Amino acid sequence: MTIPPVSVPWAESLGAALPPLVVQAERVAATVMQGVHGRRRPGQGDAFWQFRPYVVGDAAARVDWRQSAKSDRLFVRETEWEAAQTVALWSQRGAGMDWRSDRDLPAKRFRAELLLLAVAALLFRGGERVRLFGLPRAFAGRGALSALAEALPRQAAAAEDARIPRHARAVLVGDFLAPLEETRNAVAALAARSVRGHLVQVLDPAEETLPFTGRIRFEGLGTAEHALVPRVEGVRALYEERLARHRDGLAAIAAASGWSFATHRTDQPPEAALLALYRRLAPE
Amino acid sequence: MWQIGPLAFAAPWLLLALPALPLLWWLLRVSPPAPRAQAFPAILLLRDLPPTEETPHRTPWWLLLLRLAAAALLICGLARPVWQPQTGGGGSGPLLVAIDNGWAAAPDWPARAATAAAALEAAGREGRRVALLPTAAPETGEPLAASALMPAEDARARLAALRPRAWAPDRAAALAALNAFRAANPGAFATLYLADGLEHAAEGDAFSPLATALAVAGPLTVARAEARPARILPPPRAEADRLVVRALQAPLGAPTEATVLARTGDGRAIASATLAFAPGAGSAEAALDLPIEIRNQVVRLDLEPEAGAAGTVLLDERFRRRPVGLSAAVETSADAPLTGDLYYLERALGPYAEIRRGTPETLLGRRLAVMILADREVPEGREREALTRWVEQGGMLIRFAGPRLAERPDPLLPVALRAGERALGGALSWDRPQTLAPFPEASPFAGLVPPAEVTVERQVLAEPSPRLSERSWARLADGTPLVTEIARGQGRIVLFHVTANAEWSNLPLSGLFVDMLRRLVALSAGVQGAEGEAPLAPLEMLDGFGRLGPAPPAAAPIPANRVEETVASPRHPPGWYGTPGHAEETAWRRALNLSAHLPAPRAAAAPPAGSRLETIGGVPAERDLGPWLLAMALLLLAADLVVSLAQRGLIGKQWSRPAGAAALALLLAAAPARAQDQDAAAANATRLAYVVTGDAQVDEISRMGLLGLSDFVNRRTAAGLAEPHPVVPGRDDLSFYPLLYWPVLAEAPQPDAAAAAALNTFMRNGGIILLDTRDEGSGEGMNPGSRAALRLVTRDLAVPPLAPVPEDHVLKRAFYLLQDLPGRFSGGQVWVARDQDRANDSVSPVIIGGHDWAAAWAIDSRGNNPYATIPGGARQRILAYRFGVNLVMYALTGNYKGDQVHVPAILERLGN
Repeated sequence: MTIPPVSVPWAESLGAALPPLVVQAERVAATVMQGVHGRRRPGQGDAFWQFRPYVVGDAAARVDWRQSAKSDRLFVRETEWEAAQTVALWSQRGAGMDWRSDRDLPAKRFRAELLLLAVAALLFRGGERVRLFGLPRAFAGRGALSALAEALPRQAAAAEDARIPRHARAVLVGDFLAPLEETRNAVAALAARSVRGHLVQVLDPAEETLPFTGRIRFEGLGTAEHALVPRVEGVRALYEERLARHRDGLAAIAAASGWSFATHRTDQPPEAALLALYRRLAPE
Repeated sequence: MWQIGPLAFAAPWLLLALPALPLLWWLLRVSPPAPRAQAFPAILLLRDLPPTEETPHRTPWWLLLLRLAAAALLICGLARPVWQPQTGGGGSGPLLVAIDNGWAAAPDWPARAATAAAALEAAGREGRRVALLPTAAPETGEPLAASALMPAEDARARLAALRPRAWAPDRAAALAALNAFRAANPGAFATLYLADGLEHAAEGDAFSPLATALAVAGPLTVARAEARPARILPPPRAEADRLVVRALQAPLGAPTEATVLARTGDGRAIASATLAFAPGAGSAEAALDLPIEIRNQVVRLDLEPEAGAAGTVLLDERFRRRPVGLSAAVETSADAPLTGDLYYLERALGPYAEIRRGTPETLLGRRLAVMILADREVPEGREREALTRWVEQGGMLIRFAGPRLAERPDPLLPVALRAGERALGGALSWDRPQTLAPFPEASPFAGLVPPAEVTVERQVLAEPSPRLSERSWARLADGTPLVTEIARGQGRIVLFHVTANAEWSNLPLSGLFVDMLRRLVALSAGVQGAEGEAPLAPLEMLDGFGRLGPAPPAAAPIPANRVEETVASPRHPPGWYGTPGHAEETAWRRALNLSAHLPAPRAAAAPPAGSRLETIGGVPAERDLGPWLLAMALLLLAADLVVSLAQRGLIGKQWSRPAGAAALALLLAAAPARAQDQDAAAANATRLAYVVTGDAQVDEISRMGLLGLSDFVNRRTAAGLAEPHPVVPGRDDLSFYPLLYWPVLAEAPQPDAAAAAALNTFMRNGGIILLDTRDEGSGEGMNPGSRAALRLVTRDLAVPPLAPVPEDHVLKRAFYLLQDLPGRFSGGQVWVARDQDRANDSVSPVIIGGHDWAAAWAIDSRGNNPYATIPGGARQRILAYRFGVNLVMYALTGNYKGDQVHVPAILERLGN
């Protein structure tokens, strides 16, 4: 799939859309935050974990004098271990992603980026590091969300980046309507470096149900390909079957690498998809 | 040409394409419409779909029908269908269209032109060549000639440029032109002759030779308008106090009527007279009874419904205010109050005539209608010769007797006088002063009633002669003549046997004197005398329709003394002649009227035997249906285009909404009708208006208040005010209202730009706005914040510098004399424009106060005053109403009452 050249108006409209996108992503993320916890073991971090009796060798600075003053023993304050994990994010771009069947629905790319930013917001709050495919540096900290949003247009066209650290996590969001081979290659390349990840397929409702009728010439987006269907009603069942097969193929690709696969429709609220995604990301 | 009933086709072979329509049907049935295009990202999944059951997509039957109808209309339109085709001039070969385009053709010229155009149309279809032969001379002054033979299309342009002329057709010249045409085109030709049905030669028959010559050349069709009388309106006869108009027509079997309209220079019709033609009568008469002042304004008479040059008479100064010359023996004492010779004459004639003073010789240097010599002898010599010549040319000489005339009578008198005068009722006489006898029937004074108190004490006596009695226009009770007259040449000499002052009789003191002089002046033949050979240039000419326009190049000047006998012709078209540069000064204009020299209309001879007769205007014109059919086909094809685009999805949902909005907007375009209704009502009556504030209660008070004020004004004054209107500045047209009442609310918004512009225009054009803050005298409690609102409201208005109403302001004395201007409240300050602005009669465009006047004026539906006055009392309400009346008077009449301010100064000056 070729990428349309970035024109200035398009970039401007995108830039204008970003702050609301960030805000919306924060809002979506806030609904998911509650009830999700950290590592549940002591270690480096800011959150209080437990007090334990002082043993020789502990630095004097670690003694919690307030707690120690309540009894005759000395206590050391332990914080929860908060190891930062790197999560690589990717959202598909292209003419097909900018399509929507109805003006009341968001474009698929908008929803994909919303999901991606919302995940990033959650991850930033959890202290994780986030990076985008094709960008050299990772983002971290709460203020990084808007920087990430601005960097979205610069991410790689394909989900391939050799700089992703081993054992990192990856989240790929897109419609994955390209031939299965492309997706399989990308996932396999990542899985070879022990990257575990998740595929989220975002589809427009019209792509699932093919609601058109009559004699229609379908024209591909970003390609010159077209298909003339004399009676769309007659091929609807066949199309749905093909879509199901395609999804099964995607799920198989994910399962083969130990990844997970989820689908999302743009006419559904993004919170459900985000929650599902976050649960997959959260440590077990 | 192929004809079915009234429908004919000029290119019928094209109709052969109609059987091909079923082929089109079949083609459209088998080829499916173009598919709808739809962008779709999941194109991969649709690739290589197995062929499902292929139900061929059919064009819907109604679309098919639409296209077939369009094709059928296209074919029929191109076959050039004609509804009720004209047959043209008949015959074959070239066609000659002869047209009478003299004055008689003007009234129904459009019908004549349409008939000729239809004949040209038919000739064009048949491919015949056409020539035009107008029978009235062209306005270029060139001789009459037929046009060359040309294609019908070219002839149509020539015909469109042809106009009826403001002179009579010259059929003898047309016959000569016809002979020249036949010499140039020897072959036979058919002729269509659009005749006006009148014989224009003064005597003899000029129609028959022409018609016969046309019939000899080929088949002749004579088209005439039946039952339409051709009328002419000769110049009217000016009688003592009226204009007698007389119209001529060719006698008809049935009684007919016509109307003469008297119009002023700016086209207003100020009087009309109806002429009733009896069956078989050739003329009808009616009188236009007009006061002389009004009569002087009449510039033209139009015969209705006969629009045309022959039904139009231009009235120059001969029909208007006559110049009257006054001359006394001793000029120095002639003006002495109450005793001078000319004192009473000037006052009697001043309102009705233009008075000139001087010696007879200087007076005769200009044109003059009447010369009055008061007790002035005419010595032998140049003066007497000039006077005699002038009288014989048509002047009217009025002489008054007196001591000098009694001593030395001269020949310029209607009767021979005895030397000396006769005294009645003197100290040495037994006779009583004589009263006047009733005027004889033949006298121009007939109908006047001599008052009993008019007595004559002295007079000059005429030598008895057999013709004395018929020359006497007025006599004393004992039979001695008081006024005698004699005709000299075209003019006449009138002698009053008494003086022009009150010395010999008290006749000059009576109203009878004025009436007698007026009748004499009206009797005069008009302006006579020194006209000379000076050429009068053509100023404005009448065209055949009787409309004034610039003079054509061929129009030539006429010597001033020959305007009367000039016959209207291309060289001298009817219209105004005068000295350029004095065009506005009507005294220098002379009118040349076409009808002055026209013979009475009589019907032309019958057309020669064997010619075909046709009626002008009776037959409905043929109609070319081709363009209409083609236009309908285009419309259908456009509809088909829209439908096709919609089917392909090119006009989708995103277009249907704007289209719906556009349709809705079209429907809503009818909404402004309400505003127009209000404007129409506002223009039909004078009424007050109030500015809508948006607060329902305040608006209702404004409405009731202005209603109450209008009612009060209608009862107390001559002004008639209709029900007040609510207005929104910027939306409603304010130009109909003299006064706007504007209650200022605390929350009033600043008027927008359109409203401010409308209000400024309203004030600039003399409108008055009464701004009422409704808080004066009651503290801030009643309407807090209204002062700030007032500042806001008037920020964009062109309010002049203000000052408190001065004591002597017109607002306080326009109708009632008022000390202060109370409303519901009292005691506050009212502000008006400080400076006097001459532009609008020094009327203040704004009046600002806070007395809540509308509440004081308000009456409810039961006629009660719902709002109490504060501090109260019936007196305050009366004063409030009086202020309202003053305000309305101020708005309606401006500052004319302001002149009262100067009354003391004027009285003082008169006293000195």
